[in-house]
Amino acid sequence: MTNMLYSFTGLILFVFGLFALISCPHPLRKILGGNVMSTGIFLFLVATSYRTDTASIDPVPQAMVLTGIVVSVSITAVALVLATRLQQSANRAMNRREKKNEGGAAEG
Amino acid sequence: MVSAESWIAVPVVVPLAAALLSFLVRRGSLFISLAAAIINVLAAAILVNQFFVSGPAQYAVGGWDPPLGISLRTDGPALIMLVLTGLTGVAISLYAWGYFSFRIDQPARAGRPEKQERFFWPLWMLQLTGLNGLFLSGDIFNIYVTLELIGVSAAGLAALSGKSASITAALRYLLVSLLGSMSYLLGVVFLYKTYGVLDLGLLQKMAGPTPGVIAALAVMSVGLLLKTAIFPMHFWLPPAHANALAPVSAILSGLVVKGSFFLLFRLWFDIFSPALPHTAFSLMGALGAGAILWGGIQALRQQRLKLLIAYSTISQLGYLLIAFPLAFTGGNSQTWSAVLFMASGHACAKIAMFMSAGTIMLHLGHDRIRELAGIRAYLPVTAFAYAAAGVNLMGLPPSGGFIGKWMMLIASLSTHQWLWALVLLAGSFLAVAYVFRVVEQLFVIPPDAPFIERHPRAGLLEWPALILALISLLMGLIAPYPLRLLDTGMAPQVVQVIGG
Amino acid sequence: MDSAMTIILTGFDLLLSATLLWLAWQLLRSTDIFKAIIFFICFGLLMAIAWVRMHAPDVALAEAAIGAGLTGPLFLAALRKMERKQKKERRFDPEEKRDNPDKRWQVRSREASPLMWIVAALTLCFAGLLIRTVWIIPRPLPGLAQQTAAHLGASGVDNAVTAVLLNFRGYDTMLEVMVLLLGAITIWSITHAPFPPRLPDTSPVQKSAVRLLLPLICLTGGYLVWQGAYQTGGAFQGGAVLSAALVLLLISDFLWLPDMHSLPLRMGMVLGPLVFLSMAVLGIITENALLRFPPEQAGAFLLFLEAACAISIGLSLAAFFAGGRPASDLREKPYQTDQPDTEKEGS
Repeated sequence: MTNMLYSFTGLILFVFGLFALISCPHPLRKILGGNVMSTGIFLFLVATSYRTDTASIDPVPQAMVLTGIVVSVSITAVALVLATRLQQSANRAMNRREKKNEGGAAEG
Repeated sequence: MVSAESWIAVPVVVPLAAALLSFLVRRGSLFISLAAAIINVLAAAILVNQFFVSGPAQYAVGGWDPPLGISLRTDGPALIMLVLTGLTGVAISLYAWGYFSFRIDQPARAGRPEKQERFFWPLWMLQLTGLNGLFLSGDIFNIYVTLELIGVSAAGLAALSGKSASITAALRYLLVSLLGSMSYLLGVVFLYKTYGVLDLGLLQKMAGPTPGVIAALAVMSVGLLLKTAIFPMHFWLPPAHANALAPVSAILSGLVVKGSFFLLFRLWFDIFSPALPHTAFSLMGALGAGAILWGGIQALRQQRLKLLIAYSTISQLGYLLIAFPLAFTGGNSQTWSAVLFMASGHACAKIAMFMSAGTIMLHLGHDRIRELAGIRAYLPVTAFAYAAAGVNLMGLPPSGGFIGKWMMLIASLSTHQWLWALVLLAGSFLAVAYVFRVVEQLFVIPPDAPFIERHPRAGLLEWPALILALISLLMGLIAPYPLRLLDTGMAPQVVQVIGG
Repeated sequence: MDSAMTIILTGFDLLLSATLLWLAWQLLRSTDIFKAIIFFICFGLLMAIAWVRMHAPDVALAEAAIGAGLTGPLFLAALRKMERKQKKERRFDPEEKRDNPDKRWQVRSREASPLMWIVAALTLCFAGLLIRTVWIIPRPLPGLAQQTAAHLGASGVDNAVTAVLLNFRGYDTMLEVMVLLLGAITIWSITHAPFPPRLPDTSPVQKSAVRLLLPLICLTGGYLVWQGAYQTGGAFQGGAVLSAALVLLLISDFLWLPDMHSLPLRMGMVLGPLVFLSMAVLGIITENALLRFPPEQAGAFLLFLEAACAISIGLSLAAFFAGGRPASDLREKPYQTDQPDTEKEGS
C-alpha cells in the first residue's frame, strides 16, 4: 500500500517536472523542473524497496539514489552557471544599447 | 602479478587519471592527455587480440559478481566502438594540439585561447572516460552514470568557446541531455522493479514481453533517441555542434551521439530483441527515414560550412535507424553488424570533416560556403581530406559507408521492403548534392584568389583529418576484419532471432 | 503492528504525498520565480521526511543537506546574479518577465496556448500509462536485499548502504565522484566567481558567529564521515556539511578568500577522486581486480577513502556555490574597446 502510494507520487512528480521542463520558457524554471523530475524518479525507486520491517530493506536502490542526488546537483549547478552567464551577457548588451540610446538623445 | 584480464579496466582508468592530472598540473596537460590517448588505443588493441584468442569476456569489478557487483564486458560491438574511440581519440588530441597552438599564436582576445586549452584537456579526457565506460559497462545503472559523465562534459566542451551562441546551445544541450538521461533512468527503475537485477547479462536471460519491460524500453528509447538527436528530436544538435570549437565539434558529432546510439543498439539487439514487436522496429525505421530526408534537405540549404556538416550528421544518423527494421526482418544476419560498421565509418568521416572545417576557419576567419573558393591552393591536404570524407557520406566504394549502405540495400531488396531502399537511395543523392556543393568550391581556384599564409603548425591540423578521412574511405577494403569481430561477438540467441 | 497505528501511518502517507504534489505544482506554476525557489526548498525538506518514512535515513540526510540545503541556495544565488544591476529595480519581481530584459524568456500570456494544452494532455496520458504499468507489475517486487545481507560481513562496514555504495558498487561511486568534479571543472571553465561578492558589508556579529560555527561544522562533517561505517552518514553527507562551512565563509566576506590561489583548491578537489582511483588501481595490483579491497583491511581502506572524498566533495560543492574559478586564475584580458559579445573569433 505505502509502496504503491509513494510510487504513484514519484511518477506524478516525474510527470510534473517533465511538463515544466518542456513547457516553461524561463531557464530557472526548467532547471527546477528537472530537479522535480529527478526527485520523482528517486522516490519511485526507493518506494520499490520499502518494507515494513527495517531488516529486509534492499539497500541497493538507496545507494543508487544517493548517487543520483549527487549527479543531479552537479548538473543543476552547471546549468545554473550557464543560465546566469547567458542572462548576464544579455543584460550587458541591453545596458550598452540603453547607454547608446541615452548618449544619442543627449547629443540630439 | 597483474592478470591479463585487467586490461579491460585500462580504457577507463587511464583517461580518468589523465583528466585528474591535467586539471591539477596545467603545464603539461597536453602531453598527459596525448599519452593517455595513445595508451588507450594500445589497450583497445590488446583487448581485441584477447577477444580473438578467448572470446567475449566478463570482468567483475571489485571481485563482486553480478547481480551484487558491477561487471565490465568485452564483446564485438563494445570492442569495435572502443577501437573507434581510441583511434579517433588520438587524432583529435593531435588536432587539438595544433588547433590551440594556432589560436594562442594569433589570439582574437588575449588570454581566452589559453583558458580554453587548459580546460579542454580535462573535459576531453573525462569525455573519453565516459565513452569507454559506456561501451564496456555491463550494468544498466552504471551506464546511467557514464551517460551523465558524457552529457556534462559534452555541455562543458560545447560552452568552451565562450560566445553567447555557444553558451545558449550548451545550456539547451545540457537540458536535453538531462531529459534524456532521466528518461533512461526511469527505464532502469522499471527494469529493477520487474527483475530486481541491473546486470545486462542477467537481464538478457530473463527478459520477456512483460509490461515492465515494454514500459522501460519505451522510455529508455525515447530518452536515447533524444540524446542521439534523431529526427524529430534533433533541434538541439545543429547550434551546439556548429558553434563549438573545431575539435569539440569533432568530438560531439563523431563520438558523443554514437555513445547513446550504441546504447540504443545494445538494448534493442543485444538484450531485449525477443521482447519487442515488429512494429517497434518499423517505427524506428520511419524515424530514420525522416531523419535522412530532413537532414539532407536542411544541409543543402545551409550557408555556413559547419552548419552543413551538422545537418549532415542528422541525416547520416537516420541510416543507422533504418537498419533496425532491415536487421529484424532482413533474414540476413549480417545486416545488424552493418549498423555499427557504418556508425564507425561515419564517425571517422565526420570528425575529419569538422577538422577540415576548423582548419579552413582558422585560416580564413569564417566558414561561409560561398567564399571558400581556392582553399586547395594553400591547404591541399585539408581539401583532399574533406573530399575523401565526403566519399564516405555519399556511400561510394570502397568507403565504409558504401559497404554499410550496400548491405542494407541488399537486405531491403531481398525482403521486398522497397520503401527503405528508395529512402536509402534518396539519402545518397542528397549527400552527393551537399558534399559537392562544398567540394566544388574547395577545388576551384579563381584567378583573383587571395594568398593566405599557412601556419607553421598547420601540419598538425591537416594530417589527422586526412588519416581519418582515408580510414573512412578505405574501410571497405578491411571490412571483413571488423565484421568478423562483430559476428563472433553476437550472442547466439539473438542471431537466431534475427536470422529466423 | 496494531490497526490504529496502521491507520495513522496511512493518513500520514496520504497527507505527505498530497503536500509533496501540491508543493511541486506550486513551485512549477507560481508566477514569481523567487517564490518558486522557496517552495522548492520546502519541497526538499518534506522529501527528507518522506525518505525517513521510507526507512532511508542516508538518503534523507543527503536530501536535506544537498537537495534542499545546497540546491536551494544555488538557485537563489543564480537568481540574484541574473537580475539587472543598472536600474534600481525591486529585488524580486512578482512578474517573471521583468527579470528578463531581453524578453527572450518572457511568459507570453497567462492563458495557455493550444500547444500547451496538447502537451499537457500528452503528459497526462503518459502519467496514466506509467501508473497503469506500475499497477500491473507482479508483486512482491524482487530485489537484492538477500545478496547484500549475505556479503555484508566481507565489505568492511556495517551500514548496508555504505557497503553497497563504496564496496559492492564502488565503481559507480568512483564515476559519480568524477561527475561531481566534472561539474566543478565545467563551472570553472565557464566563468570566474563574482568576487568581490556583491553583498553589503557583513555585520561583525555574522563574522564572529561564523568563526564560532566553523569548527563545529567541520567536526560534525568529520563525525558523519566516521559514522558512515556503522550508521547513517558517509562521505556525501559529511562532504555536504563541510561545504556548508565553506559557503558560510564565502558569504561572510572574509578578506583572504578573493586572493585565494587556485592550486590549493585544485589539489583539494582532485584529492578524493585521485585517492579513489589509486585504490582502484591498487586493487588490480594486489588483489587482481579493479577496486577490490582486502577483506581484513577493507574497513580502514573505506574510512580513508571516505575522508579523502568528503574533502573533495565539500570543496566541489562549495565551488558550485561560488559559481566560477578564483578571480586571479586564467584571466582573460579585458576588451580594448567595448566590443559586442558575439565577436568573430575564428571559430
